[in-house]
Amino acid sequence: MSVLSVQDLKVHYRTDRGVAQAVRGASFEVPEGQVVGVVGESGCGKTTLARAIMGVMPKTASIAGGKLLFDGVDLVSLSPKDLAARRWRDIAFIPQSAMNSLDPVYRVGTQIAEILIERGGMDKASAKRRAVELFDMVGLDAGRLRDFPHQYSGGMRQRAAIAMALALEPKLVIADEPVTALDVIIQRQVLDTFKDLQSRLGLSVILITHDISVVAYASDRVVVMYAGEVIEAGATAEVLKRPFHPYTMGLYKAFPELHGDGGTLVPIEGTPPNLIHPPSACAFADRCPFVEQRCREVHPPLEPVESGSLAACLRSGEADRLRVLAGEASTWLR
Amino acid sequence: MQGSSRLISRLILTLFVLWTVATILFLIFRLMPGSPLAAFVSPTFTPEQADSLRRQFGLDKSLLDQYLLFIGNLLQGNLGESFFYKRPVGEVVMTAFANTIALTMGSLLVAYVFGVLMGAMFAWKRGTAIEGVGIPIVLVTRAAPEFWLGMVLLAIFSFGLGWFPGGGANSAGTTFSSDWARIFSLDFLRHLILPAIALALYLQGLPLLLMRTNMLEVMQEDFVTMARMKGLSTWAIVIRHAARNALLPVATAFALGIGQSVGGNVVVETVFSWPGLGRMLVEAVASSDYPLAQGAFLMITTVLVTMNFVADLLYSLLDPRIAHAGHR
Amino acid sequence: MPATAEAGARRAGGGLLAGLGRFLTLVRRDPFATAGILIYTVFLFVAVFADQLATHDPNQILYRANGRVASNQPPFGAFILGTTNLGRDIYSQLIYGARSALVVGVTAAFAVVLIGTLVGLVAGFFRGVADMILMRVADVALGIPFLPFVIVLASFREPSVWNVVIGMALVVWPSTSRVIRSQVLSLRERTFVEAARVTGSSQARILFVHIAPNVLPLSFVYGSIAVGWAILTEASVSFLGFGPTDTASWGSMLQQAYAAQALSRGWYHWFVPPGICIILVVVAGFFVSRGFEEVLFPKLRD
Repeated sequence: MSVLSVQDLKVHYRTDRGVAQAVRGASFEVPEGQVVGVVGESGCGKTTLARAIMGVMPKTASIAGGKLLFDGVDLVSLSPKDLAARRWRDIAFIPQSAMNSLDPVYRVGTQIAEILIERGGMDKASAKRRAVELFDMVGLDAGRLRDFPHQYSGGMRQRAAIAMALALEPKLVIADEPVTALDVIIQRQVLDTFKDLQSRLGLSVILITHDISVVAYASDRVVVMYAGEVIEAGATAEVLKRPFHPYTMGLYKAFPELHGDGGTLVPIEGTPPNLIHPPSACAFADRCPFVEQRCREVHPPLEPVESGSLAACLRSGEADRLRVLAGEASTWLR
Repeated sequence: MQGSSRLISRLILTLFVLWTVATILFLIFRLMPGSPLAAFVSPTFTPEQADSLRRQFGLDKSLLDQYLLFIGNLLQGNLGESFFYKRPVGEVVMTAFANTIALTMGSLLVAYVFGVLMGAMFAWKRGTAIEGVGIPIVLVTRAAPEFWLGMVLLAIFSFGLGWFPGGGANSAGTTFSSDWARIFSLDFLRHLILPAIALALYLQGLPLLLMRTNMLEVMQEDFVTMARMKGLSTWAIVIRHAARNALLPVATAFALGIGQSVGGNVVVETVFSWPGLGRMLVEAVASSDYPLAQGAFLMITTVLVTMNFVADLLYSLLDPRIAHAGHR
Repeated sequence: MPATAEAGARRAGGGLLAGLGRFLTLVRRDPFATAGILIYTVFLFVAVFADQLATHDPNQILYRANGRVASNQPPFGAFILGTTNLGRDIYSQLIYGARSALVVGVTAAFAVVLIGTLVGLVAGFFRGVADMILMRVADVALGIPFLPFVIVLASFREPSVWNVVIGMALVVWPSTSRVIRSQVLSLRERTFVEAARVTGSSQARILFVHIAPNVLPLSFVYGSIAVGWAILTEASVSFLGFGPTDTASWGSMLQQAYAAQALSRGWYHWFVPPGICIILVVVAGFFVSRGFEEVLFPKLRD
């Protein structure tokens, strides 16, 4: 049973040079109690996707099509008022930089209480008890509730942000690069706390990151995005073990510590396409080492492949052979 | 702690600035053409008065001795005797100061309450016709000389319509039990309204534009986006989060504004014959009442420099990032 | 890289022109700035051709055909804006007022910006003791109440427009120099300055050839505001009776109108026009600088 079903979602931005199609018909499911990692380079549309689901977008952005079915209700069709009433109770958000996401002039405890009182309908005393409970859950000392955000360390801020997200017991949590700003050791600690809470509370989570090692460590399922489209999706273990899309293979190659074979770090050369005039065929064609003429003519559909995942590549049938080639650093250097 | 040592250094700087300005003032009045006596002794004084002042300020001694005496007297609040009022300068200045503060605070309060609200509104209505028309109007009010605004107001509302008195702080012939009773009387308020509006018209532009810019900046901050994601009410987002943060620099500007207005009120006080410090300075200079001019100038400087310090203090009190430095 | 004196001079000139050019392109993109430039142009035209535009000598007492003084003449008759209580032509005074406003505005703004920019450049570039001393001097200058200072100054000197210029030059420069200083502090860490240092450019060369042209646009912003400030101050000082008595200025016109009880007599045609002229010129400075800021800090544009 899915908590959230994203169906053919399209998000457009107005810019000085025209309309940018940031998300171009993305579809995926978030099964109940599971962590879905959404991974891709910056500008692939993953953060836009997250903000579209939250229903809080910049003035220049709008949903141009598709559905966001949450518990059977299409969030896209709701009025702003109904949407505001559901926010944080149904879906909460953990931001990338908790420093900028906390109001600098209020104590952290006050900011948690604000949610509990204004959105949770609690009185002051029970809000205070709940705040202590939440801090306890995320491993923070309750005495720190009286501190201001700037008095926290980076890791503490992310923990506070997690506490805030869990305040109203939401069904779904969207975490946008929740540990990117932290150093590796703290990343691991915060992720462990988060994973532990997720399984204990049976939370559904969308984990947005550019770091495939975070996806490997913390997610059950993975959605790979490129140029506003989903190009591969499936169970994390399966997709990482047997990627079917050359982009996923390359992304995987860019994080060698993951498979521990000590292979050289090879970034994928080139840049994603211009989304004001996106290509009608395969968007990855210009950077793909295995590109063929038909890749520039036909748009590859997102189809089931033999591993049970979904992939959008015309050459997915040859994936086993291509995967071996993709393992060679020379394949990616042109 | 870091915060308090910063304040102490600011305090030392404040005292340094006050001392320097007092010294410059001393030199200006001493290096003026004519005998140094002219700075303190009017030909209309009796020989006894003149003798006593000569001794108090060491006017027959060297420049250095005079300077030390001047600073010593200043620390005791002794600024000499006004030529015109024949009373100690300190006393005369304090009465005028009360009138000036009433005018300054009255106009600043009106200007800042109005400016902050309008500024927040303009930020909210960014890109609309309200903003397109409003901003040029605000810039025009800021470009208008305050005394000219005062003249127009006087011509229309006082002389034309007869709604307000034509000048002064109290009607002729009225007496009061104390200065406080005088300042809180209805008569005083009636006299205060027009000059306060003239000043407020000029002053409101600064808090308005400042508030608008700050609001626009704060509205782009992540924590405002987060507040929207949390489903908080528009009121909570705009007032509790955006405005509270945008107000920090405005509060500082208010404190600075007090210091600047006390000296800047000179012309408006003259237009409305308002018996304040500025008008007193102008009259003292025009009638060569040097001790009074010096006293009025020093008083205006002291308020300005003190308020510069208070603004600093206020900022560190209002911003927890400075007030609560420590802890990690 | 040949660093001959000649090449250096050419580069400096180019830098200066480039700075000005950048300023003008930025200004052109904003309708407010265009309006401001337009007002400035008209104002400049009037000041230069005052002799041709005025209908009378602004200080001359005029007589009617019957030999009596033409005092308090109504506007839109024989005299465009009427006459003063002493029989002087208000329109001509207004025209000549533009000339004295221009002289005060431009000289004072130039003095303020020159001092402010130099102090900011030196303090930001050399830092250390020079910076410390200059910034303490700035603190003292900021502690001096401006208008009262000009009044005290005026009491010791002959009444003249120079009091305003001197007063502004002594007291108003710190705000400009603080901004320039912080700009220089960040510029001196940039790579192009680093590159100049590595290639052996002298300190003075780095400061005036590489850094100065980059802060010039900021100086223009402060200059355009200072013009308005100077004109406002000159008007205030003249209104208080400390201005020169022999030249027609908008401030002295207002002072004469006030003294002649034009307010209680409802002679709006006497005291309204000078006020509007002051507003127009000052607001032009705001428009120019605001338009510039909007383009400089596009972050605030949606």
